[in-house]
Amino acid sequence: MALRVRIASILAGLAGCWLLDALCRGLLRESEQRLVVLAGLYVTLAVSLNLINGIAGQFSIGHAAFYQIGAYTAGYLAFFYYGKLPLQGVPWLVAMLLLGMITAALAGLVVGLPSLRLRGDYLAIVTLGFGEIIRIVVQAIDLTAPTGEQVGGALGMNVEPRIRIIGLVWLFALTCIAVTRNLCKSSHGLALLSIREDEIASAAMGVQVPKMKVAAFMIGSAFAGGAGVLLAHSESFISPSMFPMDLSFIVLTMVVLGGSGSITGAVIAALTLFYVPEYLRGLKAPDGTALTATGASLLGWVAAVVAAVVVVRWLAYRYRGTARQRALGYLLTAVGVLVLGRLLGWGLSFLPALQQAEYEVQKLRMVIFAGSLIVIMLVRPEGVLGRHEFSWDRLARVLRRQRPKEATG
Amino acid sequence: MAPGAGLSLAAALDFGTLPSQVVNGVLNGAIYALIALGYTMVYGVLRLINFAHGEVYMLGAYTALFVSWAYGFRPDVPPDQLPESSLATLLVMMLASMAVCATVGVLIERFAYRPMRNQARISSLITAIGVSLLLQYGGGLFLPQNPPPTMNERVNPYRQTLELTLVGAPRELSQAVEAAREEFQKAERAFEERLQAEKDRFNLSPEGERLRDAKFEAERRLRDAESRLNSAQVTVRVSAGRLAILLASLALMFLLRQLVLFTPTGRAMRAVSQDFDSAALMGVNVDRIVTITFVIGSALAGAGAMMTATFLGTSITPYYGVLPGVKAFVAAVLGGIGNIPGAVLGGLLMGLAETLVIWAGYSQFADAVAFVVLIVVLLFRPGGLLGSSAVEKV
Repeated sequence: MALRVRIASILAGLAGCWLLDALCRGLLRESEQRLVVLAGLYVTLAVSLNLINGIAGQFSIGHAAFYQIGAYTAGYLAFFYYGKLPLQGVPWLVAMLLLGMITAALAGLVVGLPSLRLRGDYLAIVTLGFGEIIRIVVQAIDLTAPTGEQVGGALGMNVEPRIRIIGLVWLFALTCIAVTRNLCKSSHGLALLSIREDEIASAAMGVQVPKMKVAAFMIGSAFAGGAGVLLAHSESFISPSMFPMDLSFIVLTMVVLGGSGSITGAVIAALTLFYVPEYLRGLKAPDGTALTATGASLLGWVAAVVAAVVVVRWLAYRYRGTARQRALGYLLTAVGVLVLGRLLGWGLSFLPALQQAEYEVQKLRMVIFAGSLIVIMLVRPEGVLGRHEFSWDRLARVLRRQRPKEATG
Repeated sequence: MAPGAGLSLAAALDFGTLPSQVVNGVLNGAIYALIALGYTMVYGVLRLINFAHGEVYMLGAYTALFVSWAYGFRPDVPPDQLPESSLATLLVMMLASMAVCATVGVLIERFAYRPMRNQARISSLITAIGVSLLLQYGGGLFLPQNPPPTMNERVNPYRQTLELTLVGAPRELSQAVEAAREEFQKAERAFEERLQAEKDRFNLSPEGERLRDAKFEAERRLRDAESRLNSAQVTVRVSAGRLAILLASLALMFLLRQLVLFTPTGRAMRAVSQDFDSAALMGVNVDRIVTITFVIGSALAGAGAMMTATFLGTSITPYYGVLPGVKAFVAAVLGGIGNIPGAVLGGLLMGLAETLVIWAGYSQFADAVAFVVLIVVLLFRPGGLLGSSAVEKV
């Protein structure tokens, strides 16, 4: 890439973050700003896990641990040292960001070392276990401040002061994306990809497998740690219950759902999976009361979705089709689900028992989340984007209606 | 930064209770072993971590609860009108739990895992996580949870505590306890009588105060004598319910062993777990074997759930299966995942380690010890205790 393009994209990134910050501050409420911050953190988490999981192929399911380590590094240091050092405000946050990344990278080293001996599911369970150990240890330790105050423990701790800078969070996310992307293009990244494909073969070709594996773990966990620092200072409160096992699973889901190994996929999946439950949480009926769904419409939707999954799988098994035909097929199925779900719901509403059973959509949100997860995996097991990445060239080609040069599929 | 209470050493280790704790640890481990069997069998056949197994366990506990309600042990029934429980009631509950769990397990396999069988393993893993979340949150919608229901303790006919003295104490110590107890009872009776005569219960007369002090003094002497007796003798105290868990678990494991080792189905199962494709080529109906594996594994989880809900009286929530599920999975990996004796060994070790950590006074770390043991073991034996870590050949 030409130097000019590189400088231009860096400037564009900075300007974009500044613009986002200004827009969010001007237009959004406090609670909505928080969501924008959290979305940026999830993007960072998903992309950094993608480096370990999708690109290096090391099966890690304990990513929340590094997030937590970053958050608690910031929390403890802010409690004991904020105001005693000449760092204030944003410089403090940046210093913390670096420190949090270093601590999390060291933790990543500790977790990465077993990956030299363990493979696949055994490595997965060790990373899971490491995550749980961190959470339980943090929960069990109360430090006593010089003032006699208790810090940390199961109840959590306050992180003073609150520094919430949307631009910085997204700049960090962009940095994470850029580092991962550039790494993939470099010879080191190719070494990581070759380890994912076949460890033994790549070792035979001269790739330093142990070094590269540990490096992937350290880079990935450093970014998760940085995200943790930003979380701690943005929320101004952290507790062990904010970093449960489910969080690791959800980040892993983002990676796989977007297409394991695809950075674009990880970003899209992170934004979608973060936004959908939040959207469902805020859903209100037109008259302002909590939105409810009757048993009839629920059952109708479930039946329609199940039918659609069966049809799509059957079609995928029978016909291969071109990319455009497949896209059309997905679109038609989506329309079909909408129509069929409505029709079935209307038909079932003649059964009084189903019509009277009402459920609040708010409470349904996690059920919908889990259900759509299963459906997407069944319909498209390789993830939404597979291993494809977004690229300007391709977009231009699609706009010019040219056929892509290389075969895709 | 001074280290707080969390890191300080436990005050004292009470070695008198150690034998009881060891026995209880083994009994806890029996449950982990039962759940771990489900994980390990599914993994052995499909190479899939069945994350929804813990949720199957949760559904088993709810089934047992509903059956006990059907028998009349509803929470709104006053205690004196509760029916009598018996072994037959427990058996019906267990069979119902096992049946429901087996059905759920088979449905999950048929509709969520089977379509994914030819895909990358991480995709089926995500599907498993999705099923687990779906059952958790779906359970949160439809199952009673507020307040979390508990099984009525009267369902369990084995409530007494069994006591086994391993090393008896010298006779004079037990005689001293008897004497102290008699004295205490005498002092207490005297004080109670005096209390009846007192005008003001909270402002005693000097005579009343003297009797009260005498009562406290006698009580203190009784406790002293008792603790001296306890530290001199070694006894094992186990609730009969826990013993029942162990016996039932052993029986189920024995049945499983016979099935796997000595029936055609078991042979087919072993063949599939050795090589899925070759087994199919040799005429094994692989789909049938996978279904049977899910039936057995889920039924074992159901039995375990019914027994914990009944005999240990823990309250049941939609998240009931999360922690036991994770720990049992760790137990399965510890023993060498895919290896049936390994799962039992891992489960027992896990129960033992956890109980001993609580006994040593680090109860806040009880949930972490499982993972510490696991990581240490895996560092030295990457394939688990009984598993084989075969070198990959090119």
